[in-house]
Amino acid sequence: MECIITIEIGTGSIRVTAFDLNGNLIGSSKGSYPTFHARPDFSEQDPEQIFITMLYILKNFLNEKIHSKKYQVVSICFNSAMHSVLPIDKNGVPLGNAIVWSDNRAKKEADELKSCDLGKALYNTTGTPIHAMSPLNKITWLKNNDKDRFAATKKFLSVKTYILQQLTGEYVVDYSVASATGMMNIYSLKWEDNALKHAGINNENLADIVPVVYSLKSLKKEYQNSLGLHDNVKLIAGSSDGCMATLGAGVWGDGNATVTIEESGAVRVIGKEVLQDEKQRLFNYVLTEGNYVSGGPTNNAGSAFEWYVKQFGDFRKAFDLEHCMENLITEAVKVPAGSQGLIFLPYLQGERAPIWNANARGMYFGLNIKHEQQHFIRATIEGIIYAFYSIGKTLEEHRSFKSLSANGTFAAYPLWTQLLADVFNKPVQIKQSSGSDSVACGGFLVSATELGMYKNLEEAAQKVKLLDGFHPQQQNHAIHRRQYAIFERLSTKLFDEFEDIAGLQQNN
Amino acid sequence: MNQYFLRKESKELNAFPHIVEFASRKINVIQFDSLKKQVSGFLCFYYVIDGRFDWMIEEKRYILYPGDLAVILPGQRFGGEKDLLDIGTVSWMHLELEHLERNGKIAMGRWSRLSDHECAPIGRILSLNNCPVLSEVKEVGQLFQNMHSELINQEIGYTVRINQMIDELFILMARQLTRQNSSRRDFPQTFMKLEQSLRENLSHQWTLEEMAALVGLGTTAFSEKVKNYTGFSPLNYLINIRISEAIKLLKRPDVHVTDIALDVGFYSSQHFATTFKKLTGYTPSDFRKKNIPQTD
Repeated sequence: MECIITIEIGTGSIRVTAFDLNGNLIGSSKGSYPTFHARPDFSEQDPEQIFITMLYILKNFLNEKIHSKKYQVVSICFNSAMHSVLPIDKNGVPLGNAIVWSDNRAKKEADELKSCDLGKALYNTTGTPIHAMSPLNKITWLKNNDKDRFAATKKFLSVKTYILQQLTGEYVVDYSVASATGMMNIYSLKWEDNALKHAGINNENLADIVPVVYSLKSLKKEYQNSLGLHDNVKLIAGSSDGCMATLGAGVWGDGNATVTIEESGAVRVIGKEVLQDEKQRLFNYVLTEGNYVSGGPTNNAGSAFEWYVKQFGDFRKAFDLEHCMENLITEAVKVPAGSQGLIFLPYLQGERAPIWNANARGMYFGLNIKHEQQHFIRATIEGIIYAFYSIGKTLEEHRSFKSLSANGTFAAYPLWTQLLADVFNKPVQIKQSSGSDSVACGGFLVSATELGMYKNLEEAAQKVKLLDGFHPQQQNHAIHRRQYAIFERLSTKLFDEFEDIAGLQQNN
Repeated sequence: MNQYFLRKESKELNAFPHIVEFASRKINVIQFDSLKKQVSGFLCFYYVIDGRFDWMIEEKRYILYPGDLAVILPGQRFGGEKDLLDIGTVSWMHLELEHLERNGKIAMGRWSRLSDHECAPIGRILSLNNCPVLSEVKEVGQLFQNMHSELINQEIGYTVRINQMIDELFILMARQLTRQNSSRRDFPQTFMKLEQSLRENLSHQWTLEEMAALVGLGTTAFSEKVKNYTGFSPLNYLINIRISEAIKLLKRPDVHVTDIALDVGFYSSQHFATTFKKLTGYTPSDFRKKNIPQTD
């Protein structure tokens, strides 16, 4: 039997997943690698460790689940996190660690660019909001602050580009990852000269842009041998985790949006129109020529709840974090919707969409003498969902949608998914459970389209079966609507105080 | 509270050549220069029974309260912040081990029943520990008290008992140190600390026991948690780091392949070559040839 493999090079781990040609899950395996913070605003990963982890996991997975069961691998599709920058020298050797998506070192570069005319023009042509995480600003940071490394750099790659180059010798970057660099013109699908000029580089310093269904040269002989794969196995460039989570959730065109709740999260839609937001609050990433994944990201999704659990969870009764989390969620259910007037602003790590304020901080508002710990738990989760709603509301200024498709680790908790339905006042669907996550499923759809099983990705997206899961409860929605109004006002009203407190914290 | 002061020459300690000093003092009046900062060649334990003590260990200041224990390694500088003993009660013991090196190599001596296998992680924990003060270890106070009464009464079997109690002290200390350093709430954070220790001492031949001890877990629970979190068994995770570091060195033309093997912790270049080839399909030297332009 034939099978398709997807590899997700995620923010802290590699996941290898295999499907048969009908899209049924065969199995998956995961291995993680660390993120280093040499300074508080630095986030780096070792490209060689990512590569070795990928090889190791893939090799063991193939031996245990694929070769031993006589499956024939048809293709391997690579999807990855966005916004990474890995400088390599003239021999292709990495110059230090990769700067990964969450790295905030280029805050100053981003602020400067955002406020000038070039910044506005670049948002319009690249579709990417100007922020510290975008590779455009990270490369500019290197130019300004790490001159030797910048001078020695032959190319600036994404982590995925490096992995693909190690496997095949080819330097390519797919549309989606390329458009998340803030340097690709999303209309011409070429590197944008004005962006490159600003970063002090040229076309030669970047990888070649290819469609997500692009199939690379074959695997190097040595890796064919060690992995036990033939040279006719297709390596497919793939896309970004965000775009794949959207495609894999079966969202396409009008009427539907997807909500991804991992450590961080996003609300996204797919469409033929670029959403030009005057305030630059939304991103537009290219999925295929003329089709864009648009939306807004939040920094504080599962990570904000995990923070709560680590600080206030009862670990005497729990085996680990996950178990403790479940216990707390059970407690939260005992409190009525709205946590009886307790509101949480989840901005523990600053916030991106829609307020784009790195200085924003968390807060519990409305505490009274009757509030108990259960109220805090529920308010924390509700605050996180309100932040998603604030993104959804911004999106709806440009495109309306009637239902949501939810995915990600935290969307698996019914309380969270029901809250989404209640707060958005829209039905929430979830993918028919097949055990695989949406990113892997998106990867399968890309591979299957490349194989000609579907006419295009649009047709592929329609094949995803969604279960009608959660319907809004009007009574709860009314409560949330009133609370959200306060949440929204606080999020902007506190601008000056956020700035002051962030400044104060920086000095500590 | 009994006060006592026994030194190596005291007849009570005849049977214990490894105990250099064993004492307990109640300080009612401050005396200048009663605890001058100095470096000793012994492993020293200072346990606070009551009062509040202001001490310096290796240029860092620590305030100790009742129930706290300071552990000072041979070669470390220790003394009162003002070179004196504050008001209160304190017990201490100085031990001379067969050896205890900066890198954590440890040998207790013939008196101890701890096996080499058990000592290795204890030595490593001591050497990697950057917080020499253990808080709330009341058991240590009890141990010191029992040791003292055994020494005074000298009933049958007292030498065995006292040596057992010193072993017990080491076990208590090692367990407490690792628990203090690792939080059950945050295994990822605990694991990052371990991963950092591994990288800093990559050429060391790490054992599962040592790694588990460093994060304060038993080997079974440790393996399970690491596997859960990283997808790898602890030893495979270690091999991962080793190969990744080796790749970086292979891409630099100035390091010899044999040196790379040992630097990153493989016990021979043969072992390195086999592991490397199995995973990547390349021998280390082929990998180097294909990845950097040859100058000759």
